[in-house]
Amino acid sequence: MKLTTYSTDQAGLQAFYEAIIRAHDTYGPVEKFGKFDFKKVNSLSECDPESPIPRTMSVKPLFFPKSAKVMKYTATSAGTELSDTAEDPLAGKRVILGVKHCDARGLQVLDAVYKWDYIDTDYEKRRENTILISPRCDQAATHCFCTSLDYDLETLDAVDVAVINGADRKIYLQARTEKGETFLKENATGLTSANGSAEAEMKKQYETFAASFRLKMNYQEINERMQGQFDSPTFEEVPSSCVSCNTCAFVCPTCHCFKISDEKIRDKGVRYKSYDSCNNVYFTLMAGGHNPRPVKYRRWRQRAMHKFVYYKERFGVNLCIGCGKCTTSCPVNISIFEVVTKVASSMQE
Amino acid sequence: MEAEIKEKIVSMEKPHMEAPPDWQPVIMGILCNWCSYAGSDLTGTSRIQYPPNIRIIRVPCSSRVDPWFIIKSLQTIADGVLISGCHPGDCHYISGNYYARRRFLVTKKLLNFVGFHENRVQFSWVSAAEGAKFAKVVTKVTEDIRKLGPLHLYKKENS
Amino acid sequence: MDYTKQIQDIAGRLFSEGKIDIFIGYRNTGFDENQVPVLIHQYKDVDQLLFTDKSVFNLANYLKYEHTRNKRVGLIVKGCDSRALNLMLTESQVKRENLYIIGIACEGVVNETGEKAQNCVECMMPDAVVYDELLGSATGKREYQVNADIRELDEKTLTDRVEYFEEIFENCIRCNACRHSCPLCYCAKCCIDQETATLFHGANTTSSAFHALMTWSLHLAGRCVDCRNCEKACPIHLPLHLLHKLNEKVIYENFQENLAGMTEGDRGAFYKYSLSDPDDFIL
Repeated sequence: MKLTTYSTDQAGLQAFYEAIIRAHDTYGPVEKFGKFDFKKVNSLSECDPESPIPRTMSVKPLFFPKSAKVMKYTATSAGTELSDTAEDPLAGKRVILGVKHCDARGLQVLDAVYKWDYIDTDYEKRRENTILISPRCDQAATHCFCTSLDYDLETLDAVDVAVINGADRKIYLQARTEKGETFLKENATGLTSANGSAEAEMKKQYETFAASFRLKMNYQEINERMQGQFDSPTFEEVPSSCVSCNTCAFVCPTCHCFKISDEKIRDKGVRYKSYDSCNNVYFTLMAGGHNPRPVKYRRWRQRAMHKFVYYKERFGVNLCIGCGKCTTSCPVNISIFEVVTKVASSMQE
Repeated sequence: MEAEIKEKIVSMEKPHMEAPPDWQPVIMGILCNWCSYAGSDLTGTSRIQYPPNIRIIRVPCSSRVDPWFIIKSLQTIADGVLISGCHPGDCHYISGNYYARRRFLVTKKLLNFVGFHENRVQFSWVSAAEGAKFAKVVTKVTEDIRKLGPLHLYKKENS
Repeated sequence: MDYTKQIQDIAGRLFSEGKIDIFIGYRNTGFDENQVPVLIHQYKDVDQLLFTDKSVFNLANYLKYEHTRNKRVGLIVKGCDSRALNLMLTESQVKRENLYIIGIACEGVVNETGEKAQNCVECMMPDAVVYDELLGSATGKREYQVNADIRELDEKTLTDRVEYFEEIFENCIRCNACRHSCPLCYCAKCCIDQETATLFHGANTTSSAFHALMTWSLHLAGRCVDCRNCEKACPIHLPLHLLHKLNEKVIYENFQENLAGMTEGDRGAFYKYSLSDPDDFIL
């Protein structure tokens, strides 16, 4: 597919964003308590699409909210009556500004599990109705390692419209999907078609970006080695300082475990689907009291192996996308990069 | 008039929320078994009238009241909470109400700090002989809550 | 404040004398200037240890996990950490004879931006109060001062405070990092983790966040040592200290109690009473 590319400058991009915010339901990164989080915006001044990485939360909550209503129920003398919840607030047509490429890739990875066995219709609808506009980073942050993983950031088709800085303060807007192509053509007022040098400039931008990474791993090798590391003693050593909170899973763009719980007063209640985390000690607790992962290192092993081995085996994509959000949010600064590389290299000893 | 409106805005959690016309306040009353519960009994047997808005729970001692009970009541059906125990020095368990007093003060101040009006949570000492006082206290608390209107803060989201 | 060398020496000595099984200290992440708490089991790992003003996390927290249970532990404590440790000792969570404590006469740790952390500026007792060995020179107790944020919020109207706190509870994702990072939250099953539909909150809603944070802060009232592990752990950067500092202020102003855990055996303001406690709020 030949991708449409437009070129513009900083002022043109601002005008493009403003036009989108006027015409569509728009979400963008909004600063709250000194960190960025995706919220609904009514003007460009409220959000900062170019906000720096790392952010607290990815776009995940807009597709898989921290707590979503599943159904309502009322207990009557004749039995329990079930009813649907009100309309899904996230299901309408919308545009999300300022999504980082890693976040968008996270959604692509989540699609694999959400469109597998049981198809989650809510999630699917939210995905279909959303346009992701993603500025490509110019500089890697401390804990980023997205270029080392199993996807090509340069031509990533998880984003609908990529915003890439070119030479001479030029900015290129490139459609990456058909949805993005239609959207971009509809909203292209004030943008000019890019000339021949665009490809080369975008490639150059990618190369300087890729060169700014400090963390690099050989993904193939790590994946292969991790497969035999289930009993590795390194799992007991490295994450021993973990405090077993759920932060890493809640901020992760690809963690998708949830729990079902009820909120009830008297005879009326709502069933909710909320985030859960495999680092939580109750995650595997069964009725009857048996817990297969009662200790920290087993839970950590599950987390690391799921991120780097199991998901790849089952769905063909790696679950970790290298955004580094878990590491920056961790209360005790445990780095998943460090754990994984240490575990993988411990085989040689 | 203006001053009245201003006072209302300052004193209410969410001034824009209007009470429905047939609204009646619901007050959770947590009473100690030995004094206040007996006091409320006396109110009834003496045929003194007090508002029917209070729902009474009996506990062994006012220090049995975990601040969590108060949070829980406010989050479910109650618009206000009244906790009542023995007068200082009269506690059946010698010193329970002295411990409770400290806890209540902190709970009240903290709830007020995060946005609950100070009249939402009230405390009283009512002895077994003070039937008339109990009626007076319940009337006062009910009127206070009626003035404040229904509570809309952090209610459990069950619908 | 840099005690790296002394701590390495002490830890090495303890291991070679066979006095401890585990040493809890800090090491560099290797990626940035931050530090990771580390549990060391052998003499050869001692050179990882360090202690600077980036050594933020309260290590007493690790005494509640299975790794350190019934083991002889050496650990580093700053002023606030040592008071948390004292409370843990008082509440029979750890045994004093199992611990070898390196106390620090703390000069304050720095936050992400490199400034001195707010709780260190307002710190009343920077020196460790329970230790086997003290590093640095003790400076003694300081005056209590009301937290600046509390003073500011107290002046606001009720309606403004409602708005301010609603935002906080709305943004909470209930990851429970605050509770897990708190050394004094050691219950085997926390009351806010229960999911009985009528009584508790299992979902991650605003009301559930309110319930969890309020219950949590009231359980810590009179015990909180202001180490701010909770606030530093919060991924959303919620100003969780407000709840604790308000409790602290109320307790200080009304009961003249402050500085929980100064001595072993002192269980905090809610475990004692005075006949002259304020009574004017009671009908």
